[in-house]
Amino acid sequence: MSESDSAVNADSPTTPAPSFRGRGFRVFGLGWQDAIRYFFGGNASLAIILVLLICFFLIREGALFFPSHQRGLQDYRHAGQEFVDAVGEPIDAHTAFFSSANIAYFAEINESSREEDDLLRVARAVLANTEAACRKNWNLLKRKLGEVQEMDRALAGLDAADPARSDLAAKRETRLAEIAALRTILSSEVEAALAGPKVWKLGSDGRHLSSEDRERIREAVLFQASPDAKEEHPWLAGVGERSREKKKTAAAEFAAFKETLQGIQTAIRPMRTLHGELKKAASANRAAINRYQTAPARRAAMLEGAKKAQDPAEQARFQAEADQIVVEAPDLVAMNAPFYAAVPKQAELSAALLAEMRELREALPEKGSNARSRKALERSETLFDRFADTVDRSQRKAAKWRHERSVSAISSFTSFVFGKQWITNSSWHDFYGLLPLLTGSLLIAGIALAVCVPFSVAAAIYVNQLASRREQNFVKPAIEFIEAIPSVVLGFFGIVVFGEALRALSQVEWLSWVPGFPMNERLTILNAGLLLAFMAAPTIFTLVEDALENVPSALTENSLAMGASKLQTVFRVIVPASVSGLIAAILLGFGRIVGETMVVLLVAGNKIKIPDFSEGLGAIAQPAHTMTGIIAQELPEVDSGSLHWRALFIVGLVLFIIALAVNYAAQQVLKRFQRI
Amino acid sequence: MKFTINSTLPLLALALAATATLQAEDKIVIKGSDTLGAKLVPQLSETYKETGSTASFEITAEGSSSAFTNLLAGTADIGISSRDIKDSEKESFAAKGLEVEEWVAGYDLIVVVVNGKNPVKDLSVEQVEGIFTGDIKDWSELGGDAGPISVYTRNTSSGTYKTFQEIALNDRDYGADTQKLAGNEQIAEEVSKNPNGIGYVGLAYASKDGIKSVSVDGVEPKAENAKSYPISRTLYYYTIKGKAPEAAIKFVKWAKSDAKAVEVVERVGFIPAAE
Repeated sequence: MSESDSAVNADSPTTPAPSFRGRGFRVFGLGWQDAIRYFFGGNASLAIILVLLICFFLIREGALFFPSHQRGLQDYRHAGQEFVDAVGEPIDAHTAFFSSANIAYFAEINESSREEDDLLRVARAVLANTEAACRKNWNLLKRKLGEVQEMDRALAGLDAADPARSDLAAKRETRLAEIAALRTILSSEVEAALAGPKVWKLGSDGRHLSSEDRERIREAVLFQASPDAKEEHPWLAGVGERSREKKKTAAAEFAAFKETLQGIQTAIRPMRTLHGELKKAASANRAAINRYQTAPARRAAMLEGAKKAQDPAEQARFQAEADQIVVEAPDLVAMNAPFYAAVPKQAELSAALLAEMRELREALPEKGSNARSRKALERSETLFDRFADTVDRSQRKAAKWRHERSVSAISSFTSFVFGKQWITNSSWHDFYGLLPLLTGSLLIAGIALAVCVPFSVAAAIYVNQLASRREQNFVKPAIEFIEAIPSVVLGFFGIVVFGEALRALSQVEWLSWVPGFPMNERLTILNAGLLLAFMAAPTIFTLVEDALENVPSALTENSLAMGASKLQTVFRVIVPASVSGLIAAILLGFGRIVGETMVVLLVAGNKIKIPDFSEGLGAIAQPAHTMTGIIAQELPEVDSGSLHWRALFIVGLVLFIIALAVNYAAQQVLKRFQRI
Repeated sequence: MKFTINSTLPLLALALAATATLQAEDKIVIKGSDTLGAKLVPQLSETYKETGSTASFEITAEGSSSAFTNLLAGTADIGISSRDIKDSEKESFAAKGLEVEEWVAGYDLIVVVVNGKNPVKDLSVEQVEGIFTGDIKDWSELGGDAGPISVYTRNTSSGTYKTFQEIALNDRDYGADTQKLAGNEQIAEEVSKNPNGIGYVGLAYASKDGIKSVSVDGVEPKAENAKSYPISRTLYYYTIKGKAPEAAIKFVKWAKSDAKAVEVVERVGFIPAAE
């Protein structure tokens, strides 16, 4: 019994309230009142216990990640894979340089036949659009043609005397008649489609199309539009032929360029050979190390199997297999000998490669003749410098490398937090680097906030301060309803409707100043960010609205009494007074966005790479992967307790820490401003 | 992607009505590969039921790895996989005193698909490797119109992901620019919408509107060319030796040998395993 009860009893000793009497339901001296109190208290503490359990669970699994990650990195070094990857770095840099120069070469060649190629491209697009417009009959005809082919094959397999033959032949005849009828229908459909504007929607390609070419393309498409068209329209074939001719002439003109490119490819060959040999050795080393490490477990598994098997023969087989597993430590020194031996060769090859490549770069054209090749050549300049640096660095790395050097716990941590690669299920080595996922998550959240905050804050101010009661009653529930939309539904909407619309919008010519436009992809950072902005809007809206509501009415009334207008009052008095609530709302909105999974998994495009900011804000048109997305995508497949599994837990822990920090910051902001 | 067929109820009613004294109908739980589980196995199960079997099916397709985890946990009778079992997986079965039995379900071609508007018709194996590892970045390097290549692949739990890596990429890692999507259907969908897209799907998915398959080393990906097409693989059923329910074994044997089943395998776009 609490103090208040006895106080009540003291006030009215003669007629105590019946509910406070000890009569009725009682277990261990506890009545209804206590039961209800403990029930509510219990629920609250259960929530706290659950949060603590989650923390404990995440930290326990997470803490185990770093030691096993360290072991993995140690194996990577012991096997010599680290050395091989160092040797391989210049090859990748070389490939990037070559690719860029190659693009420049093809830009030169293709420039020569640009007019023809444009026409061919337009014709292809119109043909594809026409096909799409007549899809139903097109596919029907295709199927029937396939059926006739099958019948032909069956007929060829049957004897002339076979009674089934005439049956089949008759069937074939009816099919052929159907096909003929269908062809007529289809060709009139094609004609109708070509007369309409829909198939001529070509974006920027259709801009320079003259009416003559348009007419010719119409004829060509009419000629070719059939699922079994083999022959090209003579005019179109002529255009193709002209394009090839011009390309041939251009290729003769740029023969020196081509030769240089071939030289570039040949120059790397010795290095590739060396790398390939070393890679084979390192793979074998890693396999040996893995075998050694798993040997006790495998042996135990076989013995366990032998114990469980009922059949004596089976038992003997398991036992024999267990005995076959040899547990012998691999000889690291002997294993790594080839790598140390390769160091002088690598140095020699590097020097030769660099000298040869410098010469070849001089032989590349100074400047491209068109925008595309100019850009590619400029890019290859940068990539060459990067290549030269990489050769130096790789040589230094290889010379300094020692297999016996131990991997520190700190580098196990830093290579996770600052690692730029997340490669799993690899046949070489799994890399767990957080950066690509973290940057993806943050960039998407940044876009979502940038879009969502102005809209939802403005909406909240309007609804709370300026709207009439009727508007309020309509707008508020409408915005809050957004929260009720399941995120998977929103994700599907994002793929099918929004992504498609966004891409179509990005093709519009006068919008090409927007960074990242025109976009190729439907699944991008921008798409995910905009959808998340939509999702987070109700959260921020509601919280901001609450904050505005909490501004004491005395402030508003004073301001109005002093002669300030409504707008002045809103912006000079009410908004400044509720700034703490505003900031807290934004922070909590951020927390909501970072933790969202389904939308980003479906819509962000799942490319595990740090977005490329070389084109500034254009990076938002690229796909990305996120921390939440990777957990959802990869967790179902991994063995529990494996390194990969733990890595996903650590990513979860990072998410948890971010959420915790954001919530803590929001509370601190609220507290700080309330005191003032 | 999940795909579940459950037709227990009507069959249960049938079984109860017709044969009250006979044993209850057999339920076969099949789990694993998306390649097999999305079309082939559901259609096989329907055909199987039409032959008068009382068996009912539960089919879940979440990637080949899930075939083995579910067999091991006892939550599946048949595992379906588009790759063969790994040594590490064999060991975890051995640790429970179990052994798996392997049945070849058929063969599949992994078809490289591009957008329908793309002029590129043929690629060499080296070019495919270059594209999917990120060495080749622009369509103009392959004789197409200039434009950055967008590469779509399956995600890491897929058997196709691993098989393609082994056969077509020389076991090299996929390039960092590749986008990992959940299933064949999703890859086909993205490629059909992106003029610069390229991806790979099982033969059964290559006929989708808006995409076209490219020939590899001059060989067209068709069932007739199964022997000469460079990127083909074997599909498997897995059961646990001695522990699998009789109904499951009966179904697997039927699916491998019956003429009707073989017809289904062909119709869905796979190449039947020759007995």
